[in-house]
Amino acid sequence: MDQALTELGDYISDTLGDVVIAQDCRLGELCLTVKREGILKILKFLRDDANCQFTTLLDICGVDFPEEDERFEVVYNLLSMTHNQRIRLKLRTDEDTPVASATSLFNAANWWEREAWDMFGIAFDDHPDLRRILTDYGFEGHPLRKDFPLTGYVELRYDDEQKRVVYEPVKLTQEFRSFDFLSPWEGVQRMLPGDEKAEDTDEDAPEKEAS
Amino acid sequence: MAESEIKSYNINFGPQHPAAHGVLRLVLEMSGEVVDRADPHIGLLHRGTEKLIENKTYVQAIGYFDRLDYSSPQNQEHAFALGIEKLMGLEVPVRGQAIRVLYAEIGRLLNHLMNICAFALDVGAMTPMLWSFEHREKLMEFCERACGARMHMHYFRPGGVAFDVPQDLLDDIYTWCPDFLTILDDVETLLTENRIFKQRTVDIGIISAEQCQDWGITGANIRASGVAWDLRKSQPYDGYEKYDFQIPVGKNGDCYDRYIVRMLEMRESVKIIQQAIENMPGGPAKSIDHKVTPPTRGQMKHSMEALIHHFKLYTEGFKVPAGETYTAVEAPKGEFAVYLISDGTNKPYRCKIRAPGFASLQATELLSKGHMLADVVANIGSVDIVFGEIDR
Repeated sequence: MDQALTELGDYISDTLGDVVIAQDCRLGELCLTVKREGILKILKFLRDDANCQFTTLLDICGVDFPEEDERFEVVYNLLSMTHNQRIRLKLRTDEDTPVASATSLFNAANWWEREAWDMFGIAFDDHPDLRRILTDYGFEGHPLRKDFPLTGYVELRYDDEQKRVVYEPVKLTQEFRSFDFLSPWEGVQRMLPGDEKAEDTDEDAPEKEAS
Repeated sequence: MAESEIKSYNINFGPQHPAAHGVLRLVLEMSGEVVDRADPHIGLLHRGTEKLIENKTYVQAIGYFDRLDYSSPQNQEHAFALGIEKLMGLEVPVRGQAIRVLYAEIGRLLNHLMNICAFALDVGAMTPMLWSFEHREKLMEFCERACGARMHMHYFRPGGVAFDVPQDLLDDIYTWCPDFLTILDDVETLLTENRIFKQRTVDIGIISAEQCQDWGITGANIRASGVAWDLRKSQPYDGYEKYDFQIPVGKNGDCYDRYIVRMLEMRESVKIIQQAIENMPGGPAKSIDHKVTPPTRGQMKHSMEALIHHFKLYTEGFKVPAGETYTAVEAPKGEFAVYLISDGTNKPYRCKIRAPGFASLQATELLSKGHMLADVVANIGSVDIVFGEIDR
């Protein structure tokens, strides 16, 4: 099965060499990294080509890698029912650069792109209706970014004097405790902690060996 | 008599509505009784699940998956457990796989019972709901006997299932199956040949196979439109290839076909349950690799290694090697998938939940255009949506 997937990946990379940056086939899943400008071209190819026929766009999601320049990764997951294959496309963008919208090719992309916009702030060009979908009507901010705190910035409560629901800054009655039990010990390391000093001790050999 | 002009006006099919299947705010632009445009506003049940999962260990995160599609909680956990196992390369013992298949099919029955009777209720038939809920109670009793919780089981863990099932539970499920089939027959006599039901559902909300693929609709909805696509057959997981069952496929893709496909799927699920119990293998119900699955409490109190494993697993949790996976299961509502990115630590880096209801609800505008308001209700009911998974 991996063989078939790698062949498919090679076929797509050969045909659309200018769009595909990298190809990866791990754990039985094929993943192509593509250039942002070429996304519509490759989606159209994947949908229409007889060997591919990826007619179902299952999912578009965003991932935030804040340390990188192009912090957002947009991931498209497609399915071909005729060939029983799946494929994944990834592209990178940052906060100010929009991505071409896939709604012209797949109607399913509509809400998934709205969600990526709402949760991350990834803008899509030519989207028919790019507005927030999951967050509240006057919400500011993009919640799934890594710099957006888990508790958020505002909370709601019903104010009896104003007789309506009001927004107020978040007040935590107990300080937010982040339980990170990640232990510093990784198990058996290939390079034991003192080994990087081994090159140094060879030069300073006389003092060390004397003891 | 002068011709009166019908102006379009907006109706708010509000979030609080008995037929809105949860919290759905549907803004309808109507001219008279006919719907011109339907704009669903979702997000009223958005709980920030994906962000919360990024701050929890893998086993703690399983609880979130229960609460997505709350009419069949265990199927969502299934996808997450399979995703983690794929990233870790973890083997599930055969008994664990069989118990998972058993409870996944129980989840399918729970969901289809809920959907069919809620759909019938929206369309006007009240009795199937009363009869089906009795059997939902019995199914939830089986869930409770396995893990202690009627509904949100937290049962499917990476490596298998949390607790083993006793033999008398399996015998009780086996004896319950024929009674359930008689109830299905009763509900069918009420609905399948009913003139009023047919008038409300036949030729309403027709969606073709190409449209289903274009809109990302999977599951019973696409099977009702004629495509024989079921992940249990085409990309089997957990030993589904060993079970003998069929996939019902419809012809017209209307609400009536979706109802019939779900009724037939319930019968096939009962067959799978019976086969799973008859062929239930022995052995452990979860992986014996105690670096991932915790030891039993008895072992923990007697053995030092078991105690240390228990401690490490319940504080730090296990670390999943860096990588990503898109793992899909055939949930009762469609293809439920988890796109899991791990960075090598004990918490997921990003966990995207691909809910089938999200895609189905998008297509509501397509289904309802040109139909009347009462048909909008039938369409929403028949595509089987639940807001826990749509809004997350």
